[in-house]
Amino acid sequence: MSWKKVVGLIVAFSLLGLTCVSAYEMTPERKAWLATNPYKGVTVRILTLKATVSQPLFILGRKWEKETGGKVEVVEVPLAAFHQKIFTDLITGMGEYDAFLTASWYYGDYFSAVEPYIIPIEKFMKDPRFPQWDPDTVLPAIKKLLTWGGKWYGIPNDNDGQVLYYREDILTNPEYRKRFKAEFGYDLPVPPKTTDQFLDIAKFFNGWDWDKDGKVDYGLSMHLKVGEQAMFHYASWAACYVISPDNPYFWFNPENMEPLINSEGHLKAMEDMVEMVNYGPRAMLAWTLGEGWDLFLKGDAIFCFTWGDLGALAQDPKESRVKGKVGATPMPGRYEVYNPIKKVWKKYDKVIQVGNTTGGSWHPVISRYSKHPEATYDYCAFMAVKENAFWNFTRGWTGVDPGRTFAFLPPYGTASIEDYVEQGWDPHDVKPYTDAYYIDFTNPLQILYLRIPGGEEYWRALDFALGKAASGELSPEEALDECYKDFVRITNRLGKERQLKLFRESVGYKG
Amino acid sequence: MRKGYMKFVFLLPAVVWVLIFTIYPLIDSLRLSFFTYRLGMGVGEFVGFQNFIDLFKSPDYWNAFRVMLIYVCVAVPVEMALGLGFAWVFARELKGKAVFRTIFTSPLFTTGVAVGYLGVTMFHETGGPINYFLSFFGTQVPWLSTGFWATVAILLLDIWRWTPFAFIILLAAIQSVPEEMYEAASLDTASEFQIFRYITFPSILPAFTIALLLRLIEAFKQFGLVFSLTEGGPGRTTEIYCVLNYRTSIKYFDFGHGSAMAFLLLLIVMIVVVQFFGRMRKIYE
Repeated sequence: MSWKKVVGLIVAFSLLGLTCVSAYEMTPERKAWLATNPYKGVTVRILTLKATVSQPLFILGRKWEKETGGKVEVVEVPLAAFHQKIFTDLITGMGEYDAFLTASWYYGDYFSAVEPYIIPIEKFMKDPRFPQWDPDTVLPAIKKLLTWGGKWYGIPNDNDGQVLYYREDILTNPEYRKRFKAEFGYDLPVPPKTTDQFLDIAKFFNGWDWDKDGKVDYGLSMHLKVGEQAMFHYASWAACYVISPDNPYFWFNPENMEPLINSEGHLKAMEDMVEMVNYGPRAMLAWTLGEGWDLFLKGDAIFCFTWGDLGALAQDPKESRVKGKVGATPMPGRYEVYNPIKKVWKKYDKVIQVGNTTGGSWHPVISRYSKHPEATYDYCAFMAVKENAFWNFTRGWTGVDPGRTFAFLPPYGTASIEDYVEQGWDPHDVKPYTDAYYIDFTNPLQILYLRIPGGEEYWRALDFALGKAASGELSPEEALDECYKDFVRITNRLGKERQLKLFRESVGYKG
Repeated sequence: MRKGYMKFVFLLPAVVWVLIFTIYPLIDSLRLSFFTYRLGMGVGEFVGFQNFIDLFKSPDYWNAFRVMLIYVCVAVPVEMALGLGFAWVFARELKGKAVFRTIFTSPLFTTGVAVGYLGVTMFHETGGPINYFLSFFGTQVPWLSTGFWATVAILLLDIWRWTPFAFIILLAAIQSVPEEMYEAASLDTASEFQIFRYITFPSILPAFTIALLLRLIEAFKQFGLVFSLTEGGPGRTTEIYCVLNYRTSIKYFDFGHGSAMAFLLLLIVMIVVVQFFGRMRKIYE
């Protein structure tokens, strides 16, 4: 790389840092507090996963340092080692870190000790000396992930949920629509509303050059590597196979903690997922998250169901060839849904779609060992103020996805298309993206997030089941039966009565 | 008397170090293997041999054991054979020998994790150089998306990394064989193969044995390369013993089962080493 390029990159990143919104609404108490240089000599250490979602910690951290006189030290760890890094610090009491940019599924483990490993933040939220963010801008489905027992512990940051992205330009191509109808006997729906429609469309567009670029294209793109959060794809997809107005439970029977994971509905979902693997490159089985996005961004896949990062990355001309061509919609649903408690299939008059908050929803929590909880909260809240949060939401490379009311367009929120266009978005892509997420997060039917103690272990068991089924190591039925046994083993090891109590609390089951 | 006292003073730091960082963890780990452990609650109840029984009943445990055996039984013999072959070739006078030797031994200075991540690029199915090269022959290999080929990828990387270890040791051993023995053999018009079989190999057998033993012990502990390349996937097809052990203990904080698993591995390696030394003793006697 030439020196000119290096200098250019340094200047670009510096300018990038300067484009971060530094002006936000401050209370008089905040101004007075800052005038005292309150955190001079204080270093806030935050442990984060080594991914795009850690980048804003650096950039906004520099701005916070200038504002407050404090210092921020961001320590990055790969996902594969992140959970144990956090809990080794906590269970040994070393207290090396003030905060963790945690995954929501770690929450059960934070509350597995007699005294929780993280501290509630409500006293800080009420204190006008700290950057103010409005809790009412956090949608209820996301708020559930940031609270425990009705108390706030997490400061809002990333808002994860999976929606279906699709190539609207290709799906509306008249010639392809005609061929689809000839093959499948019905009009190609844009977007697909049901899982069957999704599979038909993915199958139709797999294995030929529909964008006429001389390369074979695919029906879908999805990452499936073990240990890289692929299990969230299954959760997002399978939700509509078992959750309905008659049953909200996906993971366990709240009566007796019996795992539901190998029910007929879960099995049908897994079978369909295994079929889905045929509609993308086989290499997906070894792909990490970024690789799964890459195929769609390069314009070589019709579908990708994943997190909000993809919609924002699609706007980056350096990464994307699909800017202005992307549609987004909530995950497809089904007419026929299995009730794993009553063990019956039921047909509904309308498509049952289920919302999800699958994913990490990576956000900061404060360690009970922090020696600087005020400075730590100050820094985290600084990132959560409206201006900084919106800046994050509109850039795919930050890894921070929208989920606050000011990110959505009317009638759902207070943003405008121009707000997004100013951040480099194509106006065509804004409304479907923001609407898809709002509808997803506010759907009254939701797959309840699994975050009881052992969350990491339960999710990993599902990850293995998906990997084994997708690779053909086991049949879908065998894979889910193994997952069932793993869930039983984990529950028994951690104490069935305790797990049942916590599971009931987490899903609001009252008997 | 003072001299006798002083030697203990100098030995003391090393002894304390070994006691604190080797002996104590070993004993405590053995203790933990008889208890339950839960994140947030610490050491729980005494369960006797239940942790070991749980492992023996676990299909994941036997899968990891099987993967480890495949790895040890394939990688180690190939590395030793290739190392011996290269050592035999390099023991002669060759032009540019020093340069080739340096290049050839360079993989030994890499770490397993680095090699694993290198493998992620090399064996990438849609953009990697190996499949790109194979495309000229009209073929593509699903390297990391199928269990069989992922195992082959691990073996290839490991062989590339560890063959130089055998090579260095055996080259030194071959070069230390007295020239007079070769001269005497050539006078008897022995062939190259006969010279190797009756003079070279028996002469280097002690070094070969040590290299094999060291490599075997290391192979049973394989972790970094596998974890960085596949994380045990696809599915669990390449989840080798130490990767499962790591997950159990460090990821899930299940120190009871994790310690039991570690001690079973220690037992297996000790049995192999004892058997090995027993056979070697018989050969030399």
